[in-house]
Amino acid sequence: MNRRDIAFVVSALIIAAALAVVPSITVKESVINLLVLVYIYVMMASSWNIIGGIAGQVNLGHAAFFGLGSLVSRILWTKGWPLSVSMILGALVPVAFALIIGAPSFKLRGVYFAIGTLAMAQILFITTRNLFPMISSLPTEALATYSLAPRYYVALGMTLLTVLVVFWLSRSRWGLGMVAVREEANAAESLGVSALQHKLLALCLSAFFAGLAGGVFAYYSAGYYLFFPFFPTWTFDAVMATYIGGTGTVIGPIIGAVFYVLVKEILALRFVELHPFIFGTLFILVVLFLPGGMIQIWSRLRRLFRRAAPAPSEEKAMSESDMVHDRPAVE
Amino acid sequence: MVETLVQNIVFGLLLGALYGLAAVGLSLVFGVTKFLNVAHGELLMLGGYASFWLFNLYHVDPFVSLPLAALALVVVGIVLYSLLFSRTVKMDEEQKVQTTMLIGFGVSLILQNLAQRLWTADDRSITTAYSRMSWTLFDIRFPIVRVVSMVVALLLVIALQQFLQRSYFGKAIRATVEDWEEATIIGIDTHRVYLVAFVIGAAFAGVAGALVSVGYSIVPSMGLEWTLVCLVVMTLGGLGSIIGTFVGGLILGVAQALTAFAVGGAYRQVVGLLLFLVVLAVRPQGLFGVKEG
Amino acid sequence: MLNVEHINVGYKDLQVLWDVSFQVNRGELVALIGPNGAGKTTTLKAIMGLRRPWSGTIYFEGQNLCKVPAHKTAELGIAMVPEGGRVFTGLTVLENLELGAFAPHARKHMAQTLEEMYQLFPRLEERKFQRAGTLSGGERQMLAIARALMSRPKLLMLDEPSFGLAPLLVDRIFAKIKEINQAGMTILLVEQNVRAALELAHRSYVIQNGRIVGMGTSEELLSFEFVRSAYLG
Repeated sequence: MNRRDIAFVVSALIIAAALAVVPSITVKESVINLLVLVYIYVMMASSWNIIGGIAGQVNLGHAAFFGLGSLVSRILWTKGWPLSVSMILGALVPVAFALIIGAPSFKLRGVYFAIGTLAMAQILFITTRNLFPMISSLPTEALATYSLAPRYYVALGMTLLTVLVVFWLSRSRWGLGMVAVREEANAAESLGVSALQHKLLALCLSAFFAGLAGGVFAYYSAGYYLFFPFFPTWTFDAVMATYIGGTGTVIGPIIGAVFYVLVKEILALRFVELHPFIFGTLFILVVLFLPGGMIQIWSRLRRLFRRAAPAPSEEKAMSESDMVHDRPAVE
Repeated sequence: MVETLVQNIVFGLLLGALYGLAAVGLSLVFGVTKFLNVAHGELLMLGGYASFWLFNLYHVDPFVSLPLAALALVVVGIVLYSLLFSRTVKMDEEQKVQTTMLIGFGVSLILQNLAQRLWTADDRSITTAYSRMSWTLFDIRFPIVRVVSMVVALLLVIALQQFLQRSYFGKAIRATVEDWEEATIIGIDTHRVYLVAFVIGAAFAGVAGALVSVGYSIVPSMGLEWTLVCLVVMTLGGLGSIIGTFVGGLILGVAQALTAFAVGGAYRQVVGLLLFLVVLAVRPQGLFGVKEG
Repeated sequence: MLNVEHINVGYKDLQVLWDVSFQVNRGELVALIGPNGAGKTTTLKAIMGLRRPWSGTIYFEGQNLCKVPAHKTAELGIAMVPEGGRVFTGLTVLENLELGAFAPHARKHMAQTLEEMYQLFPRLEERKFQRAGTLSGGERQMLAIARALMSRPKLLMLDEPSFGLAPLLVDRIFAKIKEINQAGMTILLVEQNVRAALELAHRSYVIQNGRIVGMGTSEELLSFEFVRSAYLG
């Protein structure tokens, strides 16, 4: 770990600590709720980024992991199981699912993988909607004692965990292997990097953290339709947030998710439901013209300012920890 | 019991004709341009609303408004192509397919929400004087609207097939699909070919949507389901064969009807998706990967 | 008629042609000869508009081809027969020929040109309803040439018409090409088969590694090492 890496981890911890103080300094529920929503979206975007950005396999069935995670966690927890166990199991069931469908899915190249995963998620969505059409409400005593603060901390903690794991992954050999598989699968294979293993690992990690996000959602929500987390919009939101922020980078999905939720909520206050247009347009613009997302804009600006005198060591450090990938997703 | 089964199959065939019509549109687009426009379902939805409002505001009979719905979608198609999809033409195939798919998702989001804001999220349907009437044969009901829709769909599909097989420009399109460079050498403007294919695809979606609005119902969120249907049918029917794709639609319609009959209507969509996955599993490159002249 | 001046052509980072210049005058049969990979096909593609030169100009009858979109080149009167007898295999012989007359000025005379093609290549008339994919190699090459001629071009460019054909067919194809030229067609012939090219051409250019290394009549070129070894070897 070089200096910049340590700097990143420390910054993350500091930010998390600062955020942890929020419930103590404000009683405004709207702020806390907003932040919890941000955390869930950050988890969703970051977890999608593992398979879609770093490993480069566009998975359109992400909501299935989120849905399974929330379903399992909610059912277990409302039946009286301890929260931690419920959430861990909730995160592991999607991993099992990923392992089962992973190997056959990865036989599908590129777009077929995307549509195939979308089809699978749709099947799960429809099936769940039919098997669990009801609303899951907390029992009355639980509702009476519902407190936001513990939910906030759980959400914050899980988000921090997700971000740190993604960060570690991006610096690890596994992560580099995933990037290699993404860029040049054949070359990677010939160098002994098993494409299938790396893709499976990426999918499982992605499933775990999306499932964990589902658990957070299950713990946080007072009452909701059990099939709600299976809606494909959860996938598309995560995908768009990641692209707009910058696929393949660690901070990209975070920025994208924060941006997404903030704009969505702010707009909801003023102009109802304008955010799909804005994000749809931004997403298209990014895909066509700016594949690196906002991170790319940021690093271009930085390069403009530093053009005066970049020290050699600084250049290298910049490229190392700035991006896990250099090549834009679309040429 | 048998009667209900046959009735279900009949309904399935009638709906399947619309599946086929919509899928033929997407198949043409993808076959010629290699754009995977996943907003195809939303184009269909727009066609439905065009017909719905023409009927409700100006009392235009839905079957008379079909050309108008098609025209509206031609305009939308031109806009989408010129503004967005044309920029992907120079990419290599794999990148083009993925990029257009992503663009399609963005477009579908925008169109779906536009429809929702303009026309609310309620189900809509066109009810004419003859909407409830059916022909009955051997105790099996054949709703007039749906039968006529099937005929319209079939005629359009055959017309397209004949156009591609026999007309000069149709042959030019097939030539472009086979060998883009050679087509350019002869003087064929491949950009125009792409535009025509894209626009015809959109128009077919529009007509299908209009037929759905009179025979069934429409809602802004119907796009995803219909896009998936088209993808399933394309996979079943085989790329490169217009008639094959149409038949694939009929097959899906019947398969859905049989599933609904066996395990209940809630799982109708699932059978198509499962079929799709099975076909993909058997042919990993998908039937999309087959190059046909 | 055709004036190629100092063009540099490449793909992405790779340069293929360096400072290539040559001319073709009306009625001539000019050959561009060189070994495999010398850049001959790229040259033709550049003229056709399929590859834009990085620098330099290409003039055809006074028109700057670099400003013309690729599909309009046929309209200006240039036809290209690509390498390998490429035809539309999914279409019939007749359909291939009909498409060859796609350009507006050719379409008006399609029936007449078709007759002329049948005169020139009787075999094609025999097979006119057959799918082009079922033709033999030699027949495909003839179809490719006939299809190019359907556009009633002023300049006909051929990319290695003899490639992959049996020697007897090679002679026949070249005899046809000579016939076409003698009837008044200006021809730019790209070839690896040096002997045949030199026999046919009024003038030739030698291209190697993306550069024009020599030009002249057949006798003049015999002094060239490459030409000599290819001719005699």
